[in-house]
Amino acid sequence: MQSVVEIENLRVRLGRREILDGITCRLGASGTGRAIGLLGPNGAGKSTLIQTLLGFHAPHAGSARILGFDCHRQPREVRARLGYMPENDAFLADMTGVSFVRLMAEVSGVPSEAALEKAHEVLFHVGLGEARYRKVGTYSLGMKQMAKLAQAIVHGPELVILDEPTNGLDPSARARMIELIREMKQDHGMNVLLCSHLLGDVEQVCDEVVILKAGRIVHQTDLEAERHQNRRFVELEVSGDAPEFAESLREIGAEAMNEGGGRWRIVLPLDVELREIWRLAARHQLAIRKLTNRRDSLEEIFLKAVGHLPAAPASAPPREEVANGRL
Amino acid sequence: MAVYKRGYQRYSGPLTGRWTRLLAFPRFAWRRMMDQRLVLIALMLSMLPVVVAMAMIYVGNRQDLWRGLGMGDAAKMLEINASFFLIWMNAQAAFAVILAALAGPGLVAPDLANGGLSLYFSRPQTPRDYAAARLIVLTGLLSLPTWIPAALLLLLQSSMAGWDWVAANWRLAPAILGGLMLWIFFVSLVALASSAWVKWRIIAGALILALFFVTAGAGQVINAVFRERWGLYLNPAVNMSNLWHAFLGLELPRDLEAWPSAVCLAAMTLVFGWALLRKLRAVEVVK
Repeated sequence: MQSVVEIENLRVRLGRREILDGITCRLGASGTGRAIGLLGPNGAGKSTLIQTLLGFHAPHAGSARILGFDCHRQPREVRARLGYMPENDAFLADMTGVSFVRLMAEVSGVPSEAALEKAHEVLFHVGLGEARYRKVGTYSLGMKQMAKLAQAIVHGPELVILDEPTNGLDPSARARMIELIREMKQDHGMNVLLCSHLLGDVEQVCDEVVILKAGRIVHQTDLEAERHQNRRFVELEVSGDAPEFAESLREIGAEAMNEGGGRWRIVLPLDVELREIWRLAARHQLAIRKLTNRRDSLEEIFLKAVGHLPAAPASAPPREEVANGRL
Repeated sequence: MAVYKRGYQRYSGPLTGRWTRLLAFPRFAWRRMMDQRLVLIALMLSMLPVVVAMAMIYVGNRQDLWRGLGMGDAAKMLEINASFFLIWMNAQAAFAVILAALAGPGLVAPDLANGGLSLYFSRPQTPRDYAAARLIVLTGLLSLPTWIPAALLLLLQSSMAGWDWVAANWRLAPAILGGLMLWIFFVSLVALASSAWVKWRIIAGALILALFFVTAGAGQVINAVFRERWGLYLNPAVNMSNLWHAFLGLELPRDLEAWPSAVCLAAMTLVFGWALLRKLRAVEVVK
């Protein structure tokens, strides 16, 4: 199946600065309606990557392809197949919502009559039906976000690129936006490339995640597969020391790493209950001072990838695999 | 079924071609432009010289009227020739500048101020397409007081004066229509470039007018300082007037020549075109 985004050793320079430094990855699968999360600290190159995919920047080396079309050499073909919701304010202030979205549809190639129909349809869909005859310049921040989403999907693109779509939204509007994005991929089969600082948003919506740092991919993971692994992580603090404890943990199928000072990190299979740890600790005469049980969250994956957390034993990948963007 | 009941469905119908997409801009822009009261007023005022010229053509061709009034020689004073059209063209050229100053800033500046360019350029549109579409908007508007009424005036004169006049003045039509088209293209380009560099509409409008006055003033200063005449070539209005004289077969004023004017106008067109395209970027890159 064809990848939605194929990037091969992509290097992008802006002035003398190398913003993207040899990125290689394949994301999504055409026609499947998957969402890809693009994460990274500030200055990691997320926006530059999106803008390069849109054909705004020319690569210094390498290539980027969307749905088989080269982003630099075939920008018209690429842009005809995608919708883009920019992070910053982007609207035509003195147009009504319906005129604005209709114009965007027509510029994308939708015939005039159909564009008008689709503009009404999509504005109702995003919750701006009652405000569609108001000028976009008078919209609140949340309404402008929804108008930006409407113009990005009005022509029914195969790939929708959303740059910080929940910026400035109140909790209910944020939940609505997340719901709309989920509908886009599940009900309408659109592929979504979501760039966000809010890891919770990405975790709720995305099937794959790419983490960028300093212009490189430091981590790429299939969240769906991660969820299916159903691993549980346990952080344990005990008083005393028993070298056989690790062996006992391995016997019940757990992976464990002794961090010293009585601190352990344990990956527990789902079918093993927590009380097994209590039982083993008692058997080895270790007093449990603290036990934290949790799933490996996207936040932890992100912090590890950008180097703010040490890698956990089970999820610590071999060095060369990290460099290739694989867990 | 009502739209609000139907829910969103992805569009999967046929797509339009490149030119249809491009022409979507002017359709929307003209509608917005006609909502501006000042533009409408200026447009209506610009029709006054057209009405006056029509009346003069009518009266100039009705010698029986003059004779009836006992003023047989007066008709000769109203001879419809190249000079008559040149005066009318100069009047309309001024209206074109005023209209461009009123309507031009509303075309690019708001898109720049509100980040609209990233929306256009994330679609199958290039900065050149965008510039072409905006030029169509403005040249379309400026056509209303310039070459369109000029064509009507020529038709009126031809129909009233007869074949002999047409045969003797055949070069007037291409000269007038071509000359006015060149002018509105140049003025539109200046307006769009100003609008692209200055995001505040009023300032952009003032800049458009100032460009014509400033270049004229600078030309006069150079002439005075160096005791020369070439400073006049800095003035686009003088250059265009020189070209119109040449097109219409009239003698150029002030011993100027047409080819330096053509070169200067071409150079200015390139500079303004470059300035416009330079600002039409989807994203500002801080290097």
